[in-house]
Amino acid sequence: MKPIPRRKFIQGTALAGGALLFLPGLKACKFLDTSSSGNYFMNEFGIDETLCRKLLAKALSRGGDFADLFFEFTVSNYIGLEDGKVNQSYGDISLGVGIRTVKGDQIGYGFTQELTEKSMMSAAATASTLCDMNAAEIGSSFSRMQTGNYYPVAADFDGIAAKSKLPLLQEINQKCFALSPEIVKVNAGFQSSAKRILIASSDGVMAEDVIPGGFIYSSVVAERNGKREQAFFNLGGRRDFSFYTEDVINKVAQKSVNNALKLFDAIQPPAGEMPVVLGPGITGILLHEAIGHGMEADFNRKKISTFSTMLGKKVAEPFVTIIDDGTNMNLAGSLNVDDEGNPGKKTVLVENGILTSYLHDKISAKYYGVEPTGNGRRQDFQNYPVPRMRNTYMLGGDATPEDVIRQAGNGIFVEDVSNGQVKIGEGDFAFYVSQGRMIENGKLTAPIKDVNIMGNGPKMLANITMAANDLEMSLGGAGQCGKNGQGVPVSFGLPTCLVKSLTVGGTQQKGGQS
Amino acid sequence: MTYIKNKQMSFPELADWVISRTMKAGAGDCRVNISKRRLVEINYRDRKPEVIKEATTQGLYLEVFVNNRFAGQSTPDFRTSTLEGFITGLIESAGIMEEDLFRTLPDPKYYEGRSTADLQLNDPDYSQLTPEDRHSMTKAVEEACLLKGGDKVISVEAGEYDESYEEYIKSSKGFEGSNKSTYCQVGASMTAQDEGDRRPAGYNYIGCRYRSDLPPLEDIGTVAAIRTLDLMGGKKIQTTKLPVILENQGVGRVLGGLFDPMSAGSIQQKRSFLADKKGTSIGSKLLTVIDDPFIPRGLGSRYYDGDGFPARKRNLLSEGIVNEFLVDWYYSRKLGWEPTSGSIGNLIIPPGTRSIEAIVKDLPRCILITGYIGGNSNSTTGDFSVGIIGKLFEKGSFVQNVAEMNMADNHLNFWNKLVEVANDPYIYSQARLPSLVFDDVVIAGI
Repeated sequence: MKPIPRRKFIQGTALAGGALLFLPGLKACKFLDTSSSGNYFMNEFGIDETLCRKLLAKALSRGGDFADLFFEFTVSNYIGLEDGKVNQSYGDISLGVGIRTVKGDQIGYGFTQELTEKSMMSAAATASTLCDMNAAEIGSSFSRMQTGNYYPVAADFDGIAAKSKLPLLQEINQKCFALSPEIVKVNAGFQSSAKRILIASSDGVMAEDVIPGGFIYSSVVAERNGKREQAFFNLGGRRDFSFYTEDVINKVAQKSVNNALKLFDAIQPPAGEMPVVLGPGITGILLHEAIGHGMEADFNRKKISTFSTMLGKKVAEPFVTIIDDGTNMNLAGSLNVDDEGNPGKKTVLVENGILTSYLHDKISAKYYGVEPTGNGRRQDFQNYPVPRMRNTYMLGGDATPEDVIRQAGNGIFVEDVSNGQVKIGEGDFAFYVSQGRMIENGKLTAPIKDVNIMGNGPKMLANITMAANDLEMSLGGAGQCGKNGQGVPVSFGLPTCLVKSLTVGGTQQKGGQS
Repeated sequence: MTYIKNKQMSFPELADWVISRTMKAGAGDCRVNISKRRLVEINYRDRKPEVIKEATTQGLYLEVFVNNRFAGQSTPDFRTSTLEGFITGLIESAGIMEEDLFRTLPDPKYYEGRSTADLQLNDPDYSQLTPEDRHSMTKAVEEACLLKGGDKVISVEAGEYDESYEEYIKSSKGFEGSNKSTYCQVGASMTAQDEGDRRPAGYNYIGCRYRSDLPPLEDIGTVAAIRTLDLMGGKKIQTTKLPVILENQGVGRVLGGLFDPMSAGSIQQKRSFLADKKGTSIGSKLLTVIDDPFIPRGLGSRYYDGDGFPARKRNLLSEGIVNEFLVDWYYSRKLGWEPTSGSIGNLIIPPGTRSIEAIVKDLPRCILITGYIGGNSNSTTGDFSVGIIGKLFEKGSFVQNVAEMNMADNHLNFWNKLVEVANDPYIYSQARLPSLVFDDVVIAGI
């Protein structure tokens, strides 16, 4: 095995944390034809096919259906502005390998931060303890997977240098204060990461990827007549520095300031059931919480999802088509290859109102006798993969947004949301509205804020009665989905659409009682 | 392990080496935190192992202060040969930051007075825990859950997780701290068949510093099943205003909305609805909240906080009055205040005298809230809104389970509605809180 040149690795990463003097996105550089054509782990850490075969053989030394190796090297860094100064710099390095042995639906898992043969063999031995049979065979050779390239970056991409981020944060700060004298505090930050992965499996697949990630944000506090309001806005995704243009900076500043100022006039809507119109874009979190999680195949394989008996059945009106997609360019949930070595794909979950597919990892795909859908994802090498969403959206309909709002009559319009949660078995979900408006007599009226909306996934899906022709994807990079203690970046999309009835939380009972 | 000149370095030796190299490389000050964690996780489903996971992780986090500039970075690589470059790069990172006169290490006088009490954070029998023990503990919990769940069970997952953690912290300004702790958790989650396609899922996971403090394993599994069966038939009711009881395990979810606005960072950044409330009442006389970091074997017990300040017991709220803010070193300097500690150890609300059952009997109609979905709390305005799950009672009798409903209020109103504290503090948490009873809360449903 080739010695591991760790000195180079650490020096490079520490510099990427703050002091690189060049701008990776602006260098004249060769872009990869496909993201998986690199040989990074061989060159930097001496991870060759012989070693991979040895580790896989160890992982399967007591039997098992298959085993895989997930090597990861991630450098992430954050710089932050507060009180007019870019005065915070934080960085993290994640390096290691996770080794999984799978037998049926059982998983043995070990990981190590040391890429020495001894440590890795020990992790493989841990994974193998799941089984107690004769050794299983591994493939005779590896084939390098050629994948799509949904987030092109330079072959030597190693993150976005702090020095290039710093003026952007100063610019956001200046713009926010310039946009309104009512802005009293501005926080801004720029998070970015460069993640390199190598997957090798006992069925002969080897795939490598370099994954950029991050976002820039502004969070402002406005003050009017002694009352304060705050708002946050971010843009990002799987992108290098070239994305963060003047337009992006302007939009981040303007949206955060405008959203904060709007809240001074916001009211609490009446509490109870009412029609809810979801505006385009980030409100797609509704699909993520209400439907998407319930369609993750591990929950269905275990029969603990409310959707586990609905495959092939009508679950929505015929105009409803919902997709989970790893192939959108540069979105936060896009994947050239998933974390088990399956190529990034587009999966239709609901087609013309019929539930057509779950989201599969290798284990569930085998259980259901289908091809993996490329949804096997994990937070990092310390965790084994499970089915996860990527970018989840619904296709647009024929109506105009105005038609949809008019059709709602009296209800609420949701413009921005901050978080959500679902109970998989019941299908009950919630999402938190940070920005919205009342709908009165088919027209948008007073702003609303800080309202939690509750519903039931299958019921909500059946209650989508109208969709506009304005599908919009969220371009934020801060969206994280949590499951089994693991966070992964995701994105959402939705056209303006009408849900006939959801429960709106609030302190005002209908009829004006508080 | 780290070696220097063929000698294995201990954490203190490595910390000294890092501090020495960092200061030589140009830092004015620095602080290093070195940690190591050994973890094991076992999950069972359908009476067979579903996941077996085991590993050791380590990390070194270094903060550098260079000419009033700051940067921090972590690495898993402890080898001195690679740390040299790591340190140099980090100092360069700090160098490009803007000057911040408030960003320093604390004055050493604030390190004085650390408790020497034995907090019993490290189970001496932890190393005796064998793979066989872990499997048998998990199986016992699973069997109990399956037994109690009976024919309603769709699926039961049971699990055991344990870890041993060690850290050593040292700063160039004389702070030195170390900590060894253990944690052992077992529990189960169950999914049950309900009406139609509803498959309610409940759980019960209990964690302790010492394995011997765990309740009987059978009880843990049985409670997991009971908490699941309690969700059956959950439906929303008409939007209404009525008394609610927050069950002990979930009180922290709502009470937590007070702590961000009590932090000096939120106050200095004008994101706190409590900024001008110190010394004033924000709740009923029953609202007394104590931060006690000295409970033996407590999950939040500690000797020092993140700044190195010695832990101390304090009343954050006394009879509804805001008594003390959470002031860390950095924001104490920005605000010109004395630091108090920016974080919390164990949370206590002094318990009352009556059980939930006795309280429910005296209320004409109430909802006992046993779970939450989603929601948020706005630290700037105090508004909060959260999905709830629970049980409706009338005149002490159970009426129905409720689901898909929501509770909303403003903290400045809500805590004034606190009318009783139950006698049942939940001890398997850093938030050792009893159930709380509130009057006149709007619950949104139909």
